[in-house]
Amino acid sequence: MLTLFLLLPVAGALIAIALPAAREGEAKVIALAFTGLNFALAVVMYVVFDRGVEGYQFVERFEWIHGAGFTVQYVVGVDGLSAPLIVLLGLLSMVSVLVSWKIDVKPKHYFAWLLILESAVAGVFLSLDLIQFFLFWELELLPMFFLISQWGSGRRVYSAMKFLIYTLAGSALMLVGFLVIGFGAKTFDIEALTKTPPQETIVPLAIVFWAIMLAFLVKLPVFPLHTWLPDAHTDAPTAVSVMLAGVLLKMGGYGILRIVLPLMPNEAHDFSKVLATIAGFSVVWGAVITLRQTDLKRLVAYSSVSHMGYVLLGVSALGPVGLSGAALQMFTHGCITGLLFVMVGMIYDRTHTREIAKLRGLMHHMPLIGTVFIVAGLASLGLPAMSGFVAELTVFLGSIEAHPAATMAAVFGVVLSAGYILWTVERILHGPKTHDFHDLTDAKQWWEITAMAVLVVAIIGTGIWPAVLTDTVRLGIEPIAKIVEAAS
Amino acid sequence: MGIEFGMEQVWVLPAIPAALFIVLALLNPLLPRRGDFLAALGMATVVGLVFLVLVDYTSVFNGGHFEPDGTNVFSFDWVNIGQGFFIIEFSTFVDGITMVMLPVVTIVATMVIVYSVGYMHGEQRYGWYFAVLCLFVSAMLTLVVSGNLIQLYLAWEGVGLASYLLIGFYWERQSAAEAAKKAFITTRIGDVGLLIGIILLWRATGTFDIQEIIAIAKAGQIDETYLTVSMIFLFMGAAGKSAQFPLHVWLPDAMEGPTPVSALIHAATMVVAGVYLVARFSPVYAEVLIARDVILYVGLITAVMAASMGLVTSDIKRVLAYSTVSQLGFMFVALGSGAVGAAMFHLLTHAFFKALLFLGSGSVIHATHRQEVESLGGLRRKMPFTAAVFSVGSLALAGIPIFAGFWSKDEILHATLKDAPVAVYVTLAGTAMLTAVYTTRLVLLTFFGAPRDQHAFDHAHESPIIMNAPLALLAVLATVSGFLAFDQVGQALGLPGGIGANVFLEHAHHFTEPDYAFAGTATLMSLVGIGIGWAYWHGDSRRAVAARQWAPDLHALLVNRYYMDGLYQGIINRVILGAGSLIAWFDKKVVNETGVDGGAQAVSYLGYRLKFLQTGRIPNYAFGMALGVLALALVAIGNS
Repeated sequence: MLTLFLLLPVAGALIAIALPAAREGEAKVIALAFTGLNFALAVVMYVVFDRGVEGYQFVERFEWIHGAGFTVQYVVGVDGLSAPLIVLLGLLSMVSVLVSWKIDVKPKHYFAWLLILESAVAGVFLSLDLIQFFLFWELELLPMFFLISQWGSGRRVYSAMKFLIYTLAGSALMLVGFLVIGFGAKTFDIEALTKTPPQETIVPLAIVFWAIMLAFLVKLPVFPLHTWLPDAHTDAPTAVSVMLAGVLLKMGGYGILRIVLPLMPNEAHDFSKVLATIAGFSVVWGAVITLRQTDLKRLVAYSSVSHMGYVLLGVSALGPVGLSGAALQMFTHGCITGLLFVMVGMIYDRTHTREIAKLRGLMHHMPLIGTVFIVAGLASLGLPAMSGFVAELTVFLGSIEAHPAATMAAVFGVVLSAGYILWTVERILHGPKTHDFHDLTDAKQWWEITAMAVLVVAIIGTGIWPAVLTDTVRLGIEPIAKIVEAAS
Repeated sequence: MGIEFGMEQVWVLPAIPAALFIVLALLNPLLPRRGDFLAALGMATVVGLVFLVLVDYTSVFNGGHFEPDGTNVFSFDWVNIGQGFFIIEFSTFVDGITMVMLPVVTIVATMVIVYSVGYMHGEQRYGWYFAVLCLFVSAMLTLVVSGNLIQLYLAWEGVGLASYLLIGFYWERQSAAEAAKKAFITTRIGDVGLLIGIILLWRATGTFDIQEIIAIAKAGQIDETYLTVSMIFLFMGAAGKSAQFPLHVWLPDAMEGPTPVSALIHAATMVVAGVYLVARFSPVYAEVLIARDVILYVGLITAVMAASMGLVTSDIKRVLAYSTVSQLGFMFVALGSGAVGAAMFHLLTHAFFKALLFLGSGSVIHATHRQEVESLGGLRRKMPFTAAVFSVGSLALAGIPIFAGFWSKDEILHATLKDAPVAVYVTLAGTAMLTAVYTTRLVLLTFFGAPRDQHAFDHAHESPIIMNAPLALLAVLATVSGFLAFDQVGQALGLPGGIGANVFLEHAHHFTEPDYAFAGTATLMSLVGIGIGWAYWHGDSRRAVAARQWAPDLHALLVNRYYMDGLYQGIINRVILGAGSLIAWFDKKVVNETGVDGGAQAVSYLGYRLKFLQTGRIPNYAFGMALGVLALALVAIGNS
């Protein structure tokens, strides 16, 4: 089942590429069919998922490389941590196809890359072998690079290259770390390594910890490793921004929870203060910068830096509550920021500007887009009954004991986020009618309505009934929390 | 009765308006009259159900058996992160405090919805207006029946959202959009305090259940300093929502919303959520007297400050807004003196007479399309009914006997005299007199004297019955609700112990025997206040102008709201946004361009320089090789 989830988008990509040039406009239909099917598959997996047991489910494995004293396998599986992320990936992939409906530059290549991106990210979330994880981690760069540099805007080549080099630099260190751990323990199997964490390696584990951690912190991203993100977002097409903010950033948090904490719990304890400081700083730093942004996309991008700081804060607390909060925040940030980018994209498509100063009174002309933008904004500022609130609350509750100062700073971020969201709403949506936009139309196409609707339902649904998420997340977090707590 | 309805079913109360919100928000264009009648009928039903709950409540706590602890009923797990980690269990809780809030919220809400059918007639987004009102009522009812702090916080933010949407109802007006934002962000600062308080209390007790927290705190199981800090944070939330100094600045601006909204949300219900919260935790505040003193003095400062600003404001709604802030200050003074019953009593009477005043001012605005008292005057001849009911509300606010405000304000003054420093009593009594002055000014300038804007006066007319009927009912309540203080009234209503014991938690002085000398002094002061107001503003108000000229600096101070709004704006613009610019610049120049791009450029420059080592000449390479061999040889010798 999981292999099917992994391969379906690739199959879709191959079919899209094989389309004759005359019918390349149909690539989007194929992409929608395959991402839709994959989303359905993810939902089925999530429903069938057995909430009575801990550990990995739907595991599929075969041995791939037999080396001298070590094996590299292909092994996939989901647990309570990855299952929600797979659903999120399926959902956002489908949404990103929908918001790309009007792409007409080389559409078959565009949609093929988008589908390959889904496969690559799925591989990261599903892999239970370090080498396999690394391969998919690198594979994801390829579609991202081409999508930004070919279909982007502005300084797209600079931004794509920056994104590429930044991630590569991080992942090179990560690979070294993986190899040190894997050759030391004679296995790359994550499950086996989790059961018997490496004790002695040829390089001090603290160095290995930071080598791997750095790659994930770049991806998350946190201050001061974040500057690739606003550039990548600003110059990427809408769909890529949705994928980038929605699922790619989560690879960082996922990697920390899946690999760093269970494999190196002692080092995690040693450095938890450092991580919490970075996290608290990121939250406030990101939020304050967000206040000053003049470009809508950059604004949402910097708010992401702030919100991903909550993930790291939850992680740094190293307790079950904080870790759950981090996992919840990853899912919820994916939906909310995904929706915000969808809305910014829709506004840009109509007004051809993302400059806040040029936008005004849009609510007059596009009440539906405005309303959904407000919903997304309120969710982003952590309004209860939307998914962000429970995640943030859980993070705060989890981290107050271990890191009171960083937690207070993060709670203060909640005021700042109310500030930048509502100020933006006031500036672009409210106010008197202006003549500049009198011929604009509201969202009326089915693909736009569907893209907005599924995300709004996800945000409000999990906000009102968080147990849908928490009952699953808890299964994935408890074993990790046990390992980490045993190490203290 | 076929179906049992009582305290256990109290969750139905917020569920009805919640369902109405969903129906009205999504379907209002399809409904006849945009569904306004559904909102009115739904609210009337809820009022009926509240009385069933009240009957149930009195039957449980009947027979003089005083049981203030209430009961925790109906609960389910909302979030469960793991056994022993944390579980958020939603539950409802009903006690005397709840039983004050439920009738207040539902009765005023029903009056406001009925009134709005007339007031909002023909407005754009008419259906949306009623939908958000239902959302507000649902959140407000959830707030007052919450047995759990997270649930309370959820409802707390919910009423804030409804308030934001309704203040910004006329979002095409720049000032309304700004006021909505200001209200949300200012109260959010308080909300963060509340959230920190909740987190701190959870850390100490391991639960969100309000009654469990109170029990643990009362048992002295929490360090006193820690508890004091937590309770001050909790009060920060209350101060934000209830517009107390220094977070009061949003409420006058909130008057940008439609007037019935001001009556419901920004006078009678939402703004008293803070009073409710502190009253709910009053057993804990009784343990941490420093936190209680903070409440006392914040309330006192607010009461004085707001009353003084009400004296010079010319917008009729803003005068009432300052009056609300001031009266909320009275309630916090009562809470700070430990007189929870007095605070809740004043909350009840204030809700009725202030809603009456706001709706009355709404009728004036509806009739004249003017809000500045400078362009009103003489309206009693055109709108006798409105003038009459407005006067009733004003007498209640000024604290004239018989009218409701007299009894409850007197209760607060009495409590401060008994349990607070005498200076507090003197200041508060002075503020009560000031209240009579500004109230008189408002009534005189609006309804008496000669019309100052003939055009507006000529077009003024009495409101339709659908607006006047709620006014009449509220006028009755603003007159009689004070009598609830008498035990005999409670007994007549079927409460053997009287209302004081069952609802207001304690026996205050009116509940047993009136102190005539004390009440007489207070009444005299109110009359003096009215006299001063009459002397200054009756007729051509020459004396008021003279008073302004006599102290122009003071007048400027008051008109400019003690320069606090300007100060805050300055802090936001200079400090926060200034820091934002600085940090954004640093992020761009130092972190990105120097650190990241600089790193990239350094590498590429290094590559550019190093490429010259690749000369392609054999002697150069041979020289390099020789150097290498030499170095290795030296290392080898050194190691041997």
